[in-house]
Amino acid sequence: MTTFKLPDLGEGLAEAEIIAWHVTVGETVSVDQPMVSVETAKAVVDLPVPFSGVVERLHAAPGDIVPTGAPLIEVAAVMAESSGPARTAASTVVGKVPSSEEELIETFSYSRPAAAAQARGRAVPVARALAKRLGLELGAVDGSGPGGLITLDDVLARANVGATPPAIAKMAARAQIAPQPLRGARRAMAQTMTLARDQIALSTVCDDADIEVWGTSGGQGGGYTLRLMRAMARACVIEPALNAWYDAKENARLLLEHVDLGVAVDTPGGLLVPVLRNIQAKSPEELRAALVAQKAAAHERALTGEDLRDFTLMLSNFGTLAGRYGIPQVVPPAVAILGAGKVRREAVVVGERVAAHLCMPLSLSFDHRCVTGGEACRFLAAVIADLELAE
Amino acid sequence: MVGMRTAISIRIPYHRLLDERGAAIGELPDFARDPAEMLRMYRMMTLARVFDAKAVNLQRTGQLGTYASCLGHEATHVGVAAAMRPEDVLAPVYREYATQMWRGVTMREILLYWGGDERGNDFAGPRQDFAWCVPIATQTMHAAGAAMAFKIRGEPRCALAFIGDGGTSEGAFYEALNLAGARALPVVFVIVNNGWAISVPVAAQTAADTLAQKAVAAGIPGFQVDGNDVIAVRDIVANALQVARGGGGPVVIEALTYRLSDHTTADDASRYRCAEELRLAWAREPLLRLREFLVEAAFWDHAREQDLLANCGAQVEAAVAEYLGTPPQSTDAMFEHLFAEPTAQLLEQRETARRYAAKSGGH
Amino acid sequence: MVEAIAMAHAWEMQADPCVVVIGQDVGANGGVFRATAGLQQRFGSDRVQDTPLAEAMIAGMSVGMAAQGLRPVAEIQFMGFIYPALDQIINHMSRMRYRTRGRLSCPVVIRTPHGGGIHAPEHHSESTESLLCHIPGIRVVSPSSPARAYGLLLAAIRDPDPVVFLEPARLYRAVRQEVADDGRALPLDVCFTLREGGDVTIVTWGAMTADVLRAVLELDKDGVSAEVLDLATLSPIDSGTILASVAKTGRLVIVHEAARNVGVGAEIAALVAEHGLYDLQAPIQRVAGYDTIMPLFKLEQEYIPSVRRIVDAVQATLAA
Repeated sequence: MTTFKLPDLGEGLAEAEIIAWHVTVGETVSVDQPMVSVETAKAVVDLPVPFSGVVERLHAAPGDIVPTGAPLIEVAAVMAESSGPARTAASTVVGKVPSSEEELIETFSYSRPAAAAQARGRAVPVARALAKRLGLELGAVDGSGPGGLITLDDVLARANVGATPPAIAKMAARAQIAPQPLRGARRAMAQTMTLARDQIALSTVCDDADIEVWGTSGGQGGGYTLRLMRAMARACVIEPALNAWYDAKENARLLLEHVDLGVAVDTPGGLLVPVLRNIQAKSPEELRAALVAQKAAAHERALTGEDLRDFTLMLSNFGTLAGRYGIPQVVPPAVAILGAGKVRREAVVVGERVAAHLCMPLSLSFDHRCVTGGEACRFLAAVIADLELAE
Repeated sequence: MVGMRTAISIRIPYHRLLDERGAAIGELPDFARDPAEMLRMYRMMTLARVFDAKAVNLQRTGQLGTYASCLGHEATHVGVAAAMRPEDVLAPVYREYATQMWRGVTMREILLYWGGDERGNDFAGPRQDFAWCVPIATQTMHAAGAAMAFKIRGEPRCALAFIGDGGTSEGAFYEALNLAGARALPVVFVIVNNGWAISVPVAAQTAADTLAQKAVAAGIPGFQVDGNDVIAVRDIVANALQVARGGGGPVVIEALTYRLSDHTTADDASRYRCAEELRLAWAREPLLRLREFLVEAAFWDHAREQDLLANCGAQVEAAVAEYLGTPPQSTDAMFEHLFAEPTAQLLEQRETARRYAAKSGGH
Repeated sequence: MVEAIAMAHAWEMQADPCVVVIGQDVGANGGVFRATAGLQQRFGSDRVQDTPLAEAMIAGMSVGMAAQGLRPVAEIQFMGFIYPALDQIINHMSRMRYRTRGRLSCPVVIRTPHGGGIHAPEHHSESTESLLCHIPGIRVVSPSSPARAYGLLLAAIRDPDPVVFLEPARLYRAVRQEVADDGRALPLDVCFTLREGGDVTIVTWGAMTADVLRAVLELDKDGVSAEVLDLATLSPIDSGTILASVAKTGRLVIVHEAARNVGVGAEIAALVAEHGLYDLQAPIQRVAGYDTIMPLFKLEQEYIPSVRRIVDAVQATLAA
């Protein structure tokens, strides 16, 4: 909508009288079309329509005196062929500013910047993540960091895992000794057994071998260990499932033909498990020589990394010390370990009568992810069958 | 030695060949006696006007974004275009559609740009012309740079930059003139003085009597021309380009015309301009004057006028149909052409945008 | 909002004869968005000036006027055209007090429409506030409602140091709000808490505030209680309010229209990582514009972070 004001018609004329209108309200007019005749002090002047559009209002009637600069006519300007949306009050010079009568109802507050309040349950992010994984409520964990901050150690302590729980430190102080860091074979055992415990699905089956037929000399000079090794090698042929490696990630197993037997050796420095290679292919003499050599090397701390690697089956003849049955730990990726307890005279039933026979207690642990109970028992039966031969 | 005496006096020649009734003033250049040349220019001016009205219409009906109308500028735009050679390079502002259309920019490209689609700037025709330039006056520096390249390579090509009256207040304008003068670059600056920089009249823009005289500070020649006289515009710009092309350095030409429209379709000039001024400007508008000349020279008549309008109308409608029928760019377009090869970050973000584009009712 | 801005101008021009308004089309036209409507008619053309078309000069002239004790409020017509003025803003406005040890200072406000969503041509939809926030010696402020536009603009004009006032163009007329014309300023350098909540802190500013509030309504339906902070002063950042809120909620989502890379959200995230890491229960999320040029308007709604993206980010931080 534009208001056209009476222009100065010449030399500062102050007013003009409307003589006649040539357009009417509501009429569509175009530029230069005759609009109105006005009379000034000097002449009758015809004013043309200043721009195209629709006449909305005439501000004066014939006979009225209109001062220069006063509104004369209102025309709703219309572009060429469109009567599209008129420019709204949403003014701009480019674009379209979204406009609405929607009312904004809001409250807001502010305060002068203040120090962050100490909040409960503040934890180091890695501690928070561990707590979540372990299913621990942070609220149940005491924070030992500044301002009650929960650290990783705090979460580990609450979960009784690793690091130095406060109780150990207290005991060491009371007993006036320092905690002894585990090194070498002990350290390796702690790591290996932690891994083994976390991964293996441990199952154990126990039985006895009646070795009465061996006579009294059978076990000497490492004889028990050698017979056990032979029995295990033969059992692997009958039931191969226990001489295997298990890959949990791929959920696959390697059934191995060669039997590399890890033999547990107790040394002052800790448990060592030297490996005798390919026992299924060695003669008794070769086996004996290898066993003696490895045991000696273990005691002399002369074993190399090569000697300790990649066993496919394990033997722990703990009976040389004491113990009947055990639950030996399988070490991955192997899937079985045979434990042999102390050979003793046992009361056994022979036919209808009780007799005292020499017996060797056996405990076969296996990884039940990869080995079935049937396989384990077949293996054990084969071991026992071989052990119960006179030679 | 400069500075030790009264050095210069300023004279800005004013060039005009048609009076306000379209009658020739003095001897006309050869092309003005050639009906083919004259009609070619008249047809383009008419096409521009018909296109322009349609574009405004499209905006008013929500089919185009904000659009800067060229109403009233047709003689300046076509006169300049006709004086340029195809191998010259144009640095436009954002209103000179007739110049661009003469040089091969399509109406569809113009509509795509104002329709919010970057592909509008990918001119199929004049591949080396600069894109529409919204940051005021910055295009003058680009033109100077292109001219520098021509000079270094020894090519007989010119750059030509348009700039508005408001634009001549920007520092960039002075810097471009100065460099062009100092290095005698083959560039012509055409100041389109249409009287208004949005709501600011030229009188409020500067104390200078003419805008062309700003050239004097840069040591280069400046001229004024009746911007609504297409013959004069073509004549003087052709001369300027010849000088520049021949190694004579840059020239500034101020074309005096009038912005018959609002600054853009979102502006309302009636807030700050009086209707009487507009009415008087309409009386001097360029198509009217040229038509009177053509009719007088027996190059044109009413029947041909009707044909031309119908023809232009059809051309414009076809272009609009093309534009409206152009499928929009996908969100992938946002991530193209940041670099020659997109970065890993951009490829990641492109995936995010695709995901959200697929979701309906994203807002 | 645009009326609130005009109102704040009028109040302060009446109260303080040193306030002068300059810019292109601000006088006779009242500003292309009408932010200075009526001012020239009321206060005259010495105090409300239509400048020639030259942004560097607008900023530079402001420096000169301010050094002489005037309080210029200068409009740069769109943020896309502020770049020529950066020379004056960075090289002089920000350091006038510093270089003269306080002898001269620069109480200037540069106002400019900010951000996209108004269907505008190229260069009229910029959100490059990071460039300014990086400069020591200036404040950068962006209101998100008519009431805050009024109060913060008054504060900016009264502040003895330079303020760049970024007005979200798509909020200019988006809503109406009763704003008392009482000359009361709101404080600079503080966040405004628009909504209290316990599950997540959302920090935002400018036009995205409206979208965040829409997202929060949706989240309400899922039983998520979000705390919304309007940053308002983008530099310096009110880290105290943000840290206190994160201590309460443990989760932070930052929402801005500006491009992600080195956006103001990065600074907020760094601050919270430095001082509030142990309160976080999940990684910080940023919802931001892509690292591309703001596209022409056919694609601008794909660029501007949507309510959907905001809701998804909140859900992501709750699930982490």
